[in-house]
Amino acid sequence: MSLQHTTLRALLAMAASIACAVAQDPATITDRRPVAFTNARILTMSGNTIERGTLVVKNGKIDALGADVTAPAGARIVDGTGMTIMPGLVSAWSRAGLGGQAAPRNDAGASRRGNRGQQAPMPMGGGGGGAQNRAATKVIESIYPKQEVFGDLLRTGITSLALTPQGSAFPGLGALLRPDGKTLEQLTARDDAFVMVTMAREQQTKKLFSETFEKAKKLVEERKKPPEAPKPAEAPAGDQKAGEAKPGEPKPGEAKTEPPKGEQPPKPEDKPKPDEKKEGQGGQGQGAPGAQAPAKKPEAPKDPNLEVLADLLEGKRKAILQIDSAADLLHWEAVAGEVKFPRTLVVSRHDTMSGTMDVVLDQLKAMKCAVLMQPDLSSLPRSRFLTHPAKRLHDAGIEVGFLLGDNPNTTRVLFFRLMELVRSGLPADVALRGVTLVPAKALGIEARTGSLEVGKDADLLVFRGDPLTPTGELQSVWLAGREVPQQP
Amino acid sequence: MRIQAILALAVLATTLVDLPAQGRGRRGPRPGDPNAEAATPPVAAPAAPAETKPKHYLAIVGGDVYLGTGQRLTGASVLIADDKIEAVGHNLTLPEGTTVIDAKGKVVSPGFVAVIGAGMGAGRSAPFADAVNPFDPEIKQGLAAGITSFLAGSTGGGSAPSGSNAVIKLAYGDVKAMVVQEDSVVGMSVPLPLADREKFADTVKKAREYLAAIEEFPKKKAADANAKEPPMPGGADKVVAILRGKARLWVSLGGGGFNPFGGGRRGGGGARANDIEGIRQALELSKLLGQGIVLQKPTSAWLVPDEIAATGSMVVLSPRDRMPADPTDPDHTGSNLASAAILAAAGVPIAVTCPVGMFGGAGVGTGGILGQDLNTPQIDAAFAVRGGLDNRKALRTITLDSAKMIGADARIGSLEVGKDADVLILDGDPLHYSTFVETAVVNGKVVYEKGKETLYSHIDRHTDRQNAR
Repeated sequence: MSLQHTTLRALLAMAASIACAVAQDPATITDRRPVAFTNARILTMSGNTIERGTLVVKNGKIDALGADVTAPAGARIVDGTGMTIMPGLVSAWSRAGLGGQAAPRNDAGASRRGNRGQQAPMPMGGGGGGAQNRAATKVIESIYPKQEVFGDLLRTGITSLALTPQGSAFPGLGALLRPDGKTLEQLTARDDAFVMVTMAREQQTKKLFSETFEKAKKLVEERKKPPEAPKPAEAPAGDQKAGEAKPGEPKPGEAKTEPPKGEQPPKPEDKPKPDEKKEGQGGQGQGAPGAQAPAKKPEAPKDPNLEVLADLLEGKRKAILQIDSAADLLHWEAVAGEVKFPRTLVVSRHDTMSGTMDVVLDQLKAMKCAVLMQPDLSSLPRSRFLTHPAKRLHDAGIEVGFLLGDNPNTTRVLFFRLMELVRSGLPADVALRGVTLVPAKALGIEARTGSLEVGKDADLLVFRGDPLTPTGELQSVWLAGREVPQQP
Repeated sequence: MRIQAILALAVLATTLVDLPAQGRGRRGPRPGDPNAEAATPPVAAPAAPAETKPKHYLAIVGGDVYLGTGQRLTGASVLIADDKIEAVGHNLTLPEGTTVIDAKGKVVSPGFVAVIGAGMGAGRSAPFADAVNPFDPEIKQGLAAGITSFLAGSTGGGSAPSGSNAVIKLAYGDVKAMVVQEDSVVGMSVPLPLADREKFADTVKKAREYLAAIEEFPKKKAADANAKEPPMPGGADKVVAILRGKARLWVSLGGGGFNPFGGGRRGGGGARANDIEGIRQALELSKLLGQGIVLQKPTSAWLVPDEIAATGSMVVLSPRDRMPADPTDPDHTGSNLASAAILAAAGVPIAVTCPVGMFGGAGVGTGGILGQDLNTPQIDAAFAVRGGLDNRKALRTITLDSAKMIGADARIGSLEVGKDADVLILDGDPLHYSTFVETAVVNGKVVYEKGKETLYSHIDRHTDRQNAR
């Protein structure tokens, strides 16, 4: 009896708590109901601006939008008179939640000095902290998920947040975060969103680039060869990383079907997880060849770092290529100029001492990719004469996007910085696309977010007034159709 | 006044003396080469893809052209094809499509070569080619001061030849063109202890033996297929490079410059390297090598010009260096403003650089306000003129002779056919303190224009001159 009682009571308590939770979270309820923003100015980014129209959100997606769209019956109506709606911001380059260096590498170096010799597979000995190929290292492994910074960034408008590995040459795989996640699983939208490539004007890095790209090219050639008899069995296993990339490609679509919250990001994350743990504990960031070797003993162990780069050269992955100055760009051209892979260029600062990017427009055009840079004016070297690199790039026909920073305080003033760029001659729509659609393309998520189109995620920023006027005020942020609470 | 007088004399002298010698600067339609060149493309056209790219011609027309060799051609032109000098002379026929820069009333000079420099886009250490910064704002400052090439890195020192350096060209925006050559200078210091002197003599001997063996080697190989190439004797690589003519030996004679900010006379740890004894020791090294060396700042060299000339050695000095004589030591006679003139009269090639300890360094660099202070090559050359050096030779001290000291005279230092097109257009006499660089051309490309850069575009020399009248 007493036992039954207890069980019953427990059940009741559970039910009550669930009911409570449901009641406390209005989002779960409103979620079922479509939301319609009426009479709002809608900046779609991909098409024309709708001066006065309606945007309908249903099941986390944009269900309809246009000047002559009517709100569906039963929808929650938000009167958008005087409001401007634009897509959520996409930050394609950030170190949010990561302190300083990419952690795994530091740990490995510091605590396992003895292993260093075996672990460094590259013939780069000597120069400690020098360039290495660590392309398969996942930056997500070094993150502590319970940090306020993600929520803070979300509340400033960043609905898609990339996490960038740091270091020279090939520091690893960048991640894409859902900034409302509370656990690592919730946070991680993709743990291999892009390959980071970082250029430096320095002997080791240049040497590493030319050698590694050469090896990766060879690997691509090998892959093209028809597999010999024993190989078919081996290829899928060995392709573990590459295999991830393939399901990874239609990722945007798959993310689309993913329910808004709490859902575990599917397969790719699951499989490598144990692997990651092992690597993390072993502190062997780039020691991954060892971790993979047991899976396919008969063949010589593959270098996962090289596999990643071969994927990149085959076009199965995207890269974010960081080149910080015009001088570095010319050195890159000299060492890896002819290596082709899908890329977006990141210029993390205006380096007047080594040339801002607007002095090498021709070379930049030849790179045939979008350029993400700081949303700031620059100056001529050692002078107070201001220059407008973003405008010069745009005028030269190069797609320009912006870096949003990894600090909520920086992001809060983002629109003021954009205003300065616009006031100095950059078209307003270019400025806004530069913080939404362009970085979304850099991360390969443009099919899902970055602009307001039917079928895309309802990642919205609702402004009172115009975002590019000083009086414009960010009123609410919507992530996948749900309003983000103003308080954490 | 004096400079102008000297200049006038020099002009007269050059125009009179050099008229017959103008074969080097071609006049009119050139007899040999152009025909040959005009003839080659049609012949080669069908088969040679290398020739398909048409040359880009640039001509600097009608200026007073200082060749850097000591000659001057008034109202002459410099024709540049791509990155090399195609012709220098009067009445040149310009190929079709030549970009013309009018230099009438201006002075045209080779780009200045700073024997010891720093910054200006060069990295701090080898390998220089991997770290050059072709967009360094200091490059523009260097060009504004007339510098188009300089020696970066360390010229070495110590008891055995050492050093790691590169001749850097201020090729703005061009990574590949910035490093002309690496390690063309190796350095040692004197005074040397006896043991080190003997060691050096031994190394030279080994190096000679090695070179002889290498020369013999093809014969040996022909006789015996298994013959091994003779190995490089340990530690002799730098000496071998010197003997092969691939590097120049610089002998450092210690500090010894007068430091106006205190410190007085302090050369190489109390050793009197600047004394005649030190210089003679350095010349001993020269005799061992059987070739001239470069003496770096030999303060007392003006006392023994003939001894230096006899070895074929050269001298890097700073005419402005000040070192008082030591009353207790008759051999220590201090510096002399006329050093350059005296040495030049004896036939010793001179390169000038700026004084030690002044304005941030021993070399021409941009650790501050290069071009706005007096830390520029032509000002130091002008000091040598002040000390009596012939004005024509004075320009050589920052062009052709400088290039010789750093082993780059085959490519830079003068406006001669076939050399790199590093040309300055100046608005006055090259050694006058109020002269500005109006245009700098490096490797045939205009890389600096005074009117377009923020540095000096606000200074209009002519208005200021009128105001001064």
